[in-house]
Amino acid sequence: MLFPTLAFGLFFLVAFLLNWLTRPHPMIWKIVMLGVSIFFYGWWNWRFVFLLLWAITSNWVAGTQIDKHLCAGSKRLAKNWMRTAIVGDLVLLGVFKYYDFFAVELSNLLGSSATVPLLELTLPVGISFFTFQAMSYVIDLHRRDIDPMPMLDFAVYLSFFPQLVAGPIVRAAEMAPQIRKQPDPRRVASGEAFHLILRGLFKKVVISSWLASAIVDDVFSNPESHSSQDVLIGIYGYAIQIYADFSGYTDIAIGVALLLGFRFPTNFDRPYSALSLREFWKRWHITLSSWLRDYLYIPLGGNRGKQSDTYRNLLLTMVLGGLWHGSTWNFVIWGFIHGIALSVERILPNRRNHPVIRWFVTFHIVCFAWVFFRADSLSSALDVIRALASLPSSAELTSSLSVLLLVGMMAAQFVPYSKSEDLKRILSRQRILVQGLTFGFGLVLIDLFGPEGVAPFIYFQF
Amino acid sequence: MEDETDTEPNPHPHGGFPAGKVFLSGIAGFILAAAINSGALLADAEQLPDSRSRSVSVAIWSPIEKIASTLKLTWPRNVGDFLLGRNEGEDQIDLRREQIGAVPQPSAEEWPALSPEKPPPTYELDQTTAVASEPVWSSGNPFTIWVLGDSMVQFFGETFVRMAERSSLVAATSEPKLASGLSRPDYFDWPARISDVMTEYDPDAVVLMFGGNDAQNIKTDEGQWLKRFTAEWEEEYRSRIALVMDLATGTEERVVLWVGQPPMRGEGFDSRMKQLNDLYRLEADSRLDVHYLDLQSLFTDENGAYARYLPDSSGKLTDVRLTDGVHLSHWGGEWLSEFLLDEIEKFPGLDGLWGE
Repeated sequence: MLFPTLAFGLFFLVAFLLNWLTRPHPMIWKIVMLGVSIFFYGWWNWRFVFLLLWAITSNWVAGTQIDKHLCAGSKRLAKNWMRTAIVGDLVLLGVFKYYDFFAVELSNLLGSSATVPLLELTLPVGISFFTFQAMSYVIDLHRRDIDPMPMLDFAVYLSFFPQLVAGPIVRAAEMAPQIRKQPDPRRVASGEAFHLILRGLFKKVVISSWLASAIVDDVFSNPESHSSQDVLIGIYGYAIQIYADFSGYTDIAIGVALLLGFRFPTNFDRPYSALSLREFWKRWHITLSSWLRDYLYIPLGGNRGKQSDTYRNLLLTMVLGGLWHGSTWNFVIWGFIHGIALSVERILPNRRNHPVIRWFVTFHIVCFAWVFFRADSLSSALDVIRALASLPSSAELTSSLSVLLLVGMMAAQFVPYSKSEDLKRILSRQRILVQGLTFGFGLVLIDLFGPEGVAPFIYFQF
Repeated sequence: MEDETDTEPNPHPHGGFPAGKVFLSGIAGFILAAAINSGALLADAEQLPDSRSRSVSVAIWSPIEKIASTLKLTWPRNVGDFLLGRNEGEDQIDLRREQIGAVPQPSAEEWPALSPEKPPPTYELDQTTAVASEPVWSSGNPFTIWVLGDSMVQFFGETFVRMAERSSLVAATSEPKLASGLSRPDYFDWPARISDVMTEYDPDAVVLMFGGNDAQNIKTDEGQWLKRFTAEWEEEYRSRIALVMDLATGTEERVVLWVGQPPMRGEGFDSRMKQLNDLYRLEADSRLDVHYLDLQSLFTDENGAYARYLPDSSGKLTDVRLTDGVHLSHWGGEWLSEFLLDEIEKFPGLDGLWGE
């Protein structure tokens, strides 16, 4: 059930009604919300509901044991339970997402002497997101950063449908208090929510889909037959496409959660305005980058050791972050480029350079890495780079509209946050009926300008 | 509220509204959107495969569209569609109907009977087809190839174009239309498009690949729904295959390749695609100028089963299919493209078109 569909619209109306009708009765509300979220997840493939239930049960049991042993002063046992839960989550992720990748590489390494059997399993949607949330729960419990959650609370948290399939990665510390405390049903932030949902739909349905079909897909599927200008615009186009796609999804998820009385953390903050790679990662997919920082980079030693250790930690974190997106060498290379660039930034700080130069360098490193992220194989990525480096010839794909759209989207990255929220403020000040009708008319405009049939969100595959 | 004291202070700067009013305003917004968009929503519903959900959707949107049109609520959308040039599909449907009348169609009796017991005819490329008596291909007068079809073409078409155009003597074009096929000309009218391409571009070779979206009920010109894989359905679907094949061949000396569906991961879907492949093969075999290409052996493992990873010529395992178990991966697209180029080169006068 994709967000920009009529099916989701109808589903959400029912979910909204059930949410607020049952909210005064916490136990009933939790059972209802769990049921609603499971229905939402089962819409894709009902078999994977059992996987989600397994992740809920196993991590909750482990969390309870961690808390019990910590209270009893048995730190070793608590640590063992945490490790068991993390290994369990990684096995789940490994079997469905990485096994075949490593089996194929191993088979090719061994040559004809041995063949490693393949599983060829379908990747359950959202598995990377809910396993990461589950891991953060048991780690935070072990660190005593949070209290253990009751079973139903934890089930509602891990399965909560607005963020279940493509984030943002909301931590238990952020969700648990919101599940416990009842929001005021007389003060639903409808203006802000309608604004976020419309903005997200516009980014996804109009901008992302248009860029994909008008230029990006063509350039990446057949780079050699396009001019270097077209290829360059295609790469810029993908940078905007993936931003519009994923931040659009996040906007909708945050808006939907707001209507249910939940506030999710910000996941994007004008990432292409960053003046360094470090700043980029503070603005792009913030919930993933902070997850990687808190549960991988810092435990590895962060920047506390020798310089060389810091570079190693950065590289390892970014490569594993790349691998989180998918089991291909392209994602590994994407992470590697970011890891190297972050390390080089530490060796050669460019703070003295003019901000325009710093922005230019940062943006183009990010775009270069996107080539590997988007291309469907290593050789395709190299084809794109070769085509980019070829002699300039006439641009056929690039239209004034695509250039205008790219420039407009880039310019929007530099609009101050307070200004960019003006629309939200204006909508929030309107009477409720005006808000609803504006929302309806916005849907019509988005459907009008969007192409026929909208592809699934890019981040659903992760 | 059971516990009024446990409510959070209002975190929203603009106060917010009661949930009931938000619900009603959301409903009002949806009603407004549904009314203005009812024409587009009804069209979407009509394009669904024949099923209960289609019947329900059409039953819901038809009266809404009627009421909205009567109240002139649909005009903003109509104006928008007009300004964006979106009302151009109807000519194509008419064109298709004209063509069905113009192209002679064999009667059902003339077709070989489809029997599950009958082994599928073996594919033999008809080498007698003359592409051109004295072909003089040059960069100024290239050998032109068009690849047309559904989303399967989307995934290998551009790769094919790139590989075909490694020869400066070849100009290739790929034109996929997602979610299309021969079952639903109301969604996309392939016969009309193929006719246009043949008339306008007169390609030397045409590669066609359909079927992925076609195992569904068919609506006849008389408005009757035919249940998929019944005798009536097969007769109608074969007439559509025949029409497309005849339009593609025309009277020209043209290479026409019909690419069968590869094996699919889903058992039921795979079985349906095999049934369609039998129909394509039968229609192609009844024509001298259409050549059916079987992909079953190209994309199966040593046990003859679907496989996502297959060894390439050097024995290295390569992922040839996407995770959806249907479409071809980048490498799968290269395999298929290479196979197609080899097949095209087998025609008289075309050997060595891509060198050794």
